[in-house]
Amino acid sequence: MGLLGAGTLLAAGGLRVYAGRPSHAHVAVVGGGFGGATAAKYLKILKPDLDVTLIEPNRRYYTCPFTNLYLGGLRDFESLGHDYRELQEDYGVRVVPDFAEDVDVDGRRLKLAEGSEIAWDRLILSPGIDFRWGALEGYDEAAAEKAPHAWKAGPQTHLLRRQLEEMEDGGTFVLVAPENPFRCPPGPYERVSLIAHYLKRNKPRSKVLLLDSKDNFSKQGLFMEGWEEHYGEMVEWVGLSNDGRVIRVDPDRLEVETEFGTIHRASVLNVVPPQKAGLIAHRAGVTDESGWVPVDPNTFQSRKAPGVYVIGDATEAAPMPKSGFVANNHGKVTAAAVVADLEERAVPKPTWANTCYSVIAPEWGITVANVYEVHDGELREVPGSGGVSPSGAPADFRRNEARYAEAWYAAISQDVWGTRPPG
Amino acid sequence: MESRVSAEVSFSVEAGLNMNNKNDKKQRLPTPVPESGPANPGRRRALRLLVAGLAGAALTGRTPGLANNRGSAAWERIEPARERLNGATPKDGAIKLDLPGVTQDGSAVPLTVEIDSPMSEDDFIEAVYLYAGGNPTPELLDVYLTPLVGRARFSTRIRLNKSQSVLALARTNRGEWLAGDREVRVTVSGCLSRDDTYDFDAVMRTRVRVPERLEPGQIGEVRTLIDHPMETGLREDGEGQPIPERIINEFRAEFNGKSVLKARLYRAISANPYLRFPIAPNGSGEATFHWTEDTGESVSESFRMETG
Ligand SMILES: Cc1cc2nc3c(=O)[nH]c(=O)nc-3n(C[C@H](O)[C@H](O)[C@H](O)COP(=O)(O)OP(=O)(O)OC[C@H]3O[C@@H](n4cnc5c(N)ncnc54)[C@H](O)[C@@H]3O)c2cc1C
Repeated sequence: MGLLGAGTLLAAGGLRVYAGRPSHAHVAVVGGGFGGATAAKYLKILKPDLDVTLIEPNRRYYTCPFTNLYLGGLRDFESLGHDYRELQEDYGVRVVPDFAEDVDVDGRRLKLAEGSEIAWDRLILSPGIDFRWGALEGYDEAAAEKAPHAWKAGPQTHLLRRQLEEMEDGGTFVLVAPENPFRCPPGPYERVSLIAHYLKRNKPRSKVLLLDSKDNFSKQGLFMEGWEEHYGEMVEWVGLSNDGRVIRVDPDRLEVETEFGTIHRASVLNVVPPQKAGLIAHRAGVTDESGWVPVDPNTFQSRKAPGVYVIGDATEAAPMPKSGFVANNHGKVTAAAVVADLEERAVPKPTWANTCYSVIAPEWGITVANVYEVHDGELREVPGSGGVSPSGAPADFRRNEARYAEAWYAAISQDVWGTRPPG
Repeated sequence: MESRVSAEVSFSVEAGLNMNNKNDKKQRLPTPVPESGPANPGRRRALRLLVAGLAGAALTGRTPGLANNRGSAAWERIEPARERLNGATPKDGAIKLDLPGVTQDGSAVPLTVEIDSPMSEDDFIEAVYLYAGGNPTPELLDVYLTPLVGRARFSTRIRLNKSQSVLALARTNRGEWLAGDREVRVTVSGCLSRDDTYDFDAVMRTRVRVPERLEPGQIGEVRTLIDHPMETGLREDGEGQPIPERIINEFRAEFNGKSVLKARLYRAISANPYLRFPIAPNGSGEATFHWTEDTGESVSESFRMETG
């Protein structure tokens, strides 16, 4: 098992190397989001004597889930923040507020930005996504300051909210949606729904235009039904075959150009850019030419680097969507696989589940749910395991679904971060 | 995979009307009225179908294109490809196929074919044939190129019934054969599946983008799309009746009357056939694009292109 020897802090030529306790296996987890924080917690639940280090630069993590409710004026931003006190105090996870900069797979070391190193026996990466800046012409990091993505929760989310508040009544909000795969397949559609809600209340002469690089999207029929019901003409979706694919962004003029040459001008422009696995996955050499991480479906161990496990949005886990729900499931299944591996036991047979709730208007929710398994060495949906909410359902059904969404958020936050009531 | 029944998604197509501003130049034949199904000519209607893509292919229950000798080269395993080669052995790995390794939407998989060739009068790729051996019928697209494309590269969107390898064969003007293939994993995702409805009023509406002005010797890019369901003949309507095959089966691009690119489309080209290809015009003139449906109906569009 290659455990390192004595001491928690080894001096090696002036370099600080943290290796955990002698004769205890040490698992390092990168990223304290849905995947990483779950994995760290469940490693300790499954094997309390394990040494677990979580590396996450932010002391407070804000979830992407429910930022759309914040943008729509239905939720306070601080209610989306969570911290690592439960992991540290109740579960004994060592939380290091730093950024993992590089991985030495053969030497089983992790290099941190502040200069220290971590020696691990097993490594779990859950870094989420990064953007492929420039892959969409004109859309780079500087452009995002004018035309925000708000696809990571934080300053970008506030920027978009501010722009909506400053937008004139009668303006056009334009959202540019990417090709698959990307973080949160129903996310762009929930976002335009709740921004339409905000505009309908506050700037009712405005328009919402969604320019899409796809002809199909998640829960399409239900979204369109909801848009028609709540927002009528205000929301317009233009799919790929209707010249919805944007090929160029002009962040200064807030204009976008589609592939057949239509120029759309926005009052507020929200670009959800093409994506890839978080940087550390590329540094670790575990990504392939798609920019995502291929994994062994039973364990989520990297196909390229033994001992390195990758979970959450960074992975190629189709047909599972890139959702917080799935990342949380990955965290648990992979914690079990890592513990089994360390104890030299057979890996338990995994199953995963996902439910994506989307809120279209206050008290109006829709759902898609599925269960996943490994079949013939590949991930698949368990046949007949899931589905979407019925179309044409009565208002009390939709109200219940919106309440399930709220309850889900409270429950998963509890499960991942043990979030205590604010106080 | 289950099929789901839901409301007609007609809103999208109406709301999404966003026509190319060149439409007034279009010479268009009357939109044909579908011959089968509960037709109600003149009124827009959405046809409710089972599931996206070629999933209806399950009706046939077999894949005639796929022989049982795994381990051999992709071109050896697909019967119509072997017939096309007629005994010739292609140079394998000489065609670059750009396709996603994993796709969650088999109804529209983006595909780019690229071949290293000078595309000069005496050395060019004359034909490219694309196959998907795991589909109910393996033929995808035949493309005939001329030096007027400037570069042997084009893109389209295809239907893949299941995980399989996509094969390309190419023939040079000297009669040499090239081959290339690529594995694609197709996963069914309930998160993305939807009812496939179609607005027949839009059928045969075209979109084209051509460069209006090019420098001499510069290679421009053409994008074309035609609204069409590309009905495979393998699906059923809401009443369980088979929907007859109805596809665009030919596309031609010409410059001053000379062929730039010609394509034969099969039913595994995605709905709303899309073709993107280069153009290297030898002077100023008129670019014309023709689409033909298997009913014999056709549409053309012409654009002026200036060089220099
Ligand atoms: C608008 C929107 C709405 C959404 N709504 C939902 C929803 O309703 N339900 C749902 O299930 N999902 C939803 N999602 C998706 C969800 O946010 C993601 O799927 C989820 O966050 C993925 O978890 P993860 O652990 O892979 O990545 P993340 O949660 O992004 O966590 C990654 C963490 O790693 C840290 N990190 C990255 N690199 C390093 C490094 N090198 N060193 C140290 N730390 C690092 C980051 O700081 C971050 O905290 C939504 C997403 C968006 C954008």
